[in-house]
Amino acid sequence: MKKRILGVILFLAFGLARFPLEQAMTMSLREQGLKQSPPQVSWLEDFGQMFLASLGGLRGLVASVGYLEAYSAWERNDWGAVDNRMTLVTRMKPYEPTYWDDAAWHMAYNAASYFKRDKELRAAIQNKLFQDHVQRGIEIINEGLQYLPENRRLLETLGYIYKDRQPNPTLAADAFLRAHAAGSLDFMERLAAYELVKVGDRASSEKAYEILKRYYDKGEPFTRMESIQRDLRVLENRLNIPPAQRLPPAPPKDTTVPKRPMLRKSNP
Amino acid sequence: MSSTSPTVASPPPKPRQHAAFSLFRVWTLATHTATQLLRMRILAFLAVFCLVALGAAFFFPQLSPEQQLMQLKDWSMGSMMVASIVFSITATALLLPKDLEDRTLYTILSKPVPRYEYLLGKLFGMLLLLFCGLLLMDLVLSLVLWLKQQVLLSGMIAMLEQQQAATPENLAFVEASIKKYGLTSSVHVQVWTVFLQASVVTALTLLISTFASTTLFTIVTSVAFTIAGFGVALMREWVLKGLYGWTEKTVGALLAILCPDLGMFNLTTELTKGGVPLSVLGQLTGYAMMYVAAYMVVSHLFFVEKEL
Repeated sequence: MKKRILGVILFLAFGLARFPLEQAMTMSLREQGLKQSPPQVSWLEDFGQMFLASLGGLRGLVASVGYLEAYSAWERNDWGAVDNRMTLVTRMKPYEPTYWDDAAWHMAYNAASYFKRDKELRAAIQNKLFQDHVQRGIEIINEGLQYLPENRRLLETLGYIYKDRQPNPTLAADAFLRAHAAGSLDFMERLAAYELVKVGDRASSEKAYEILKRYYDKGEPFTRMESIQRDLRVLENRLNIPPAQRLPPAPPKDTTVPKRPMLRKSNP
Repeated sequence: MSSTSPTVASPPPKPRQHAAFSLFRVWTLATHTATQLLRMRILAFLAVFCLVALGAAFFFPQLSPEQQLMQLKDWSMGSMMVASIVFSITATALLLPKDLEDRTLYTILSKPVPRYEYLLGKLFGMLLLLFCGLLLMDLVLSLVLWLKQQVLLSGMIAMLEQQQAATPENLAFVEASIKKYGLTSSVHVQVWTVFLQASVVTALTLLISTFASTTLFTIVTSVAFTIAGFGVALMREWVLKGLYGWTEKTVGALLAILCPDLGMFNLTTELTKGGVPLSVLGQLTGYAMMYVAAYMVVSHLFFVEKEL
């Protein structure tokens, strides 16, 4: 009996002794980015899911199941369910950029376009729902950027939304430039320059000219790119570039070259 | 023809001193435990895991390459974790009652085998089987993941070529993106942490089974402790933050003291570019060993007074 009592005392003492050690270790792992904070799920959201999510190692699995549910909701055009499922998914794995990217894409592109094409709605309602869902996409990306600051994938998506869905060249250019600084392809920097041309003020035009001229001076294939040539000529006039420094006149178009097939419109 | 030379009587052999602790005895008990569990067809979950991995790899909707690889990893890791914990609890809960039922326990303890050696043998047998099972799962997952990665990569390259966009820059970008989500060292790190987690659960179940009256009680209690163990970090936050009431704090403190923090082993591997630092892995391994050692000491204190 004595040994059993000693066992119970040891068990409790061990529990008390490891309390501060575990807290310190948890904090250390979080600081190193190796551990997530407990899910920030409010009580208004599904409590059962939060309970399941607290089973740490199953967070990935819960996210996967939620993602598949969002996929089937997308097939049914049930946009509320898509948003709800993707919210759960991003809560479960907040450090996974593809989930934020997909959640924003569903809202800003799929849902927004669906309502824009819904002939049963009045035009004003169509536009309102379109704008609301695009804005929801932007909110999702911005929330993702709080967990993954300067993530190139999220910044690219944000840039594309500001370029195509809620035109704002200044914000689009900023997002593209940040994405390029974070390791995106050079194409992103050129996209930023094209957006800066649209902004139109002198500072933006000078920045755009600096970027596009840098690429043009690299030679092939940039010297053949129509977008670079077109915008550089616009900027030369806008910035009064001396004739000696301007691009040579464009050669006549070669009509013998077959047209390239259409590229995918989506962000690779 | 026998020799007629006189035989010299050799001195009687000295009685061998009985060692208080013998690794050989522990190893014998461990291998016996592993064999005993294998005979109980306890490794059937391996087949289930393989089906899950293959299903996750080839039967999900056609998502983006990254998502396909991520789904495969998440489903496989999830099933691996669940399988290892279920196996740890059920198999360990059966060990002592089975030995009592078969009278093996009396045979062993009637010999000069201390009770702590018997407990260590049972623990190491379970861990040995668990390690081998997870190693096999890791191999299956790595193979399936690598194959899937190659299929997706060749598909993406073919698509780029079809679109006349297969520039070296684009190819390198696609390759890096798919490789990042494919087979990396983080997969093996996660499997190792699953093993550490299951080791702690095994030691805890063995501790409970030393005083439990029935197998069912052991299983139910272990499951309850395990589930609570995943929320211990949350409980600690309740205790340490001033946002919650007295009731929540008391319950939180009690659970944080009684249950092992199993959430500690769930690392976020998405962020790790060069894998988890070895120092962290060492810390976690030491942390698991600390739990196992503490639980074994307490188990021995309970088991030594158990009337058999």
